[in-house]
Amino acid sequence: MTEQTVHNAPRTDTAAAIARWLCDAAHADRAAITRYEKLPGGAIQDNWSLDATLEGGPWSGAHRWVLRKDATSSVAVSRTRAEEFAILQVAHGAGVRAPRPLFLCRDKSVLNAEFFVMERLPGLAQGHRLTREPALVPDGDALAFALGANLARIHAIRPPRPALGMLAMPANPAVETIAEYRAYLDALDDAHPALEWGLRWCERRAPAAFDITLIHRDYRTGNYLVDQGRLSGVLDWEFAGWGDPREDLGWFTARCWRFNGVEREAGGIAALDPFMQGYESVAGRGISREDLDYWQVMAHLRWAVIALQQAQRHIAGGERSLELALTGRIVHELEYEVLQLIARADR
Amino acid sequence: MTDISDAADLMTTAREALLRELLPVLPAEHRYSALMIANGMAIAAREHRLGPDAGQSETVRMRNLLAGCALPIPPSNDAHALRRIVCSAIRAGRFDEPASATRLTQALMHTAEAWVAISNPKALRTASQPTGRNEA
Repeated sequence: MTEQTVHNAPRTDTAAAIARWLCDAAHADRAAITRYEKLPGGAIQDNWSLDATLEGGPWSGAHRWVLRKDATSSVAVSRTRAEEFAILQVAHGAGVRAPRPLFLCRDKSVLNAEFFVMERLPGLAQGHRLTREPALVPDGDALAFALGANLARIHAIRPPRPALGMLAMPANPAVETIAEYRAYLDALDDAHPALEWGLRWCERRAPAAFDITLIHRDYRTGNYLVDQGRLSGVLDWEFAGWGDPREDLGWFTARCWRFNGVEREAGGIAALDPFMQGYESVAGRGISREDLDYWQVMAHLRWAVIALQQAQRHIAGGERSLELALTGRIVHELEYEVLQLIARADR
Repeated sequence: MTDISDAADLMTTAREALLRELLPVLPAEHRYSALMIANGMAIAAREHRLGPDAGQSETVRMRNLLAGCALPIPPSNDAHALRRIVCSAIRAGRFDEPASATRLTQALMHTAEAWVAISNPKALRTASQPTGRNEA
């Protein structure tokens, strides 16, 4: 196995460049890269498994890490790796279950892009498997409770935080989000009446009262690791920022992120109650059904806008890809869900 | 029925060959790609069969919506142009009144259903499926 992974390591100059940089970053005398392989998934970021053996310094020993860098294409709202590293540091420090961030490299001469190294957590993230194979999640209620509590720990991080000074402070998160989605839709060739109606519906019901916390913005099944049935950590912090914490609750529970468990509102793994109990146990407050419906509409609108962006990469961005093309076709079902939610709420 | 295969039948038959003959002998790392290709072919076949109707009905619904709000209806049946006009009317608040809001939601729902029946019919809720009201 070791021989195989070493054999699979990419060009030695890349490994050598990382090793040289690691020596410096980890204050080691010597660093050997024993494995450097691209991890599956990540349409926007590249994740690589990085096994390294260091000699000397505080990190002396063998390590299994993940190196995260920009992929060839990124969506506009995605953060830089330096920003994501800073957010992860704050979140990890606040007791959020997430990979511990270790070293940041802003020098683009090492890998032609900014990147950082974080610890590699055990577990499986694939949403379609977690929501279909009971052996992977023997106690969905307990997992949902842990996910709720973990999300509340993110939402306990409030401004001001000097380390997060680069994050924009929204004056009214819902209103600004709606304006941002509209501006994106306006830039497209075709118009999308169902999405436009969803945005109008959300605009007229935009919450007057809100309080701003750190939000993850992609906290959902498929983005957390489950190891032996338990929450191992939450991944993909590239969209995190200051916002209305209810946005995360809507995103996590939205039907579009339930995979094979559409009847289980908490991310396809459990009913809503255990998830919200976990959340309330840390946050000391929950969310009304009305507010949850509102933010579920917003969730489907957000995913529709992102799916259209992915489709554009294929149609107009010179990045021909069946996966991106098929992601664009998801828009119909997202429109359908927006309308279902609106019809239900207006009944 | 036609005497020879139409585009939808060719696409469906090719997809069946992919799934039946090629998928079982493909190395595991190509399985995901093969399933994506099969999915793309299924959508294309459905769109060939159902797309013209879905497009036409959508156009009729949009014209009716505009007429119902006493908005000018363009002479052409160009779906892109009609969608733009409906979107502008929505943003201008022309469907905010509860009665027109309901009419709009229903019309858009019919259109969405027709396109979901092409893109992913499994996502359509049938009467026997929960509507979500009891999900909490």
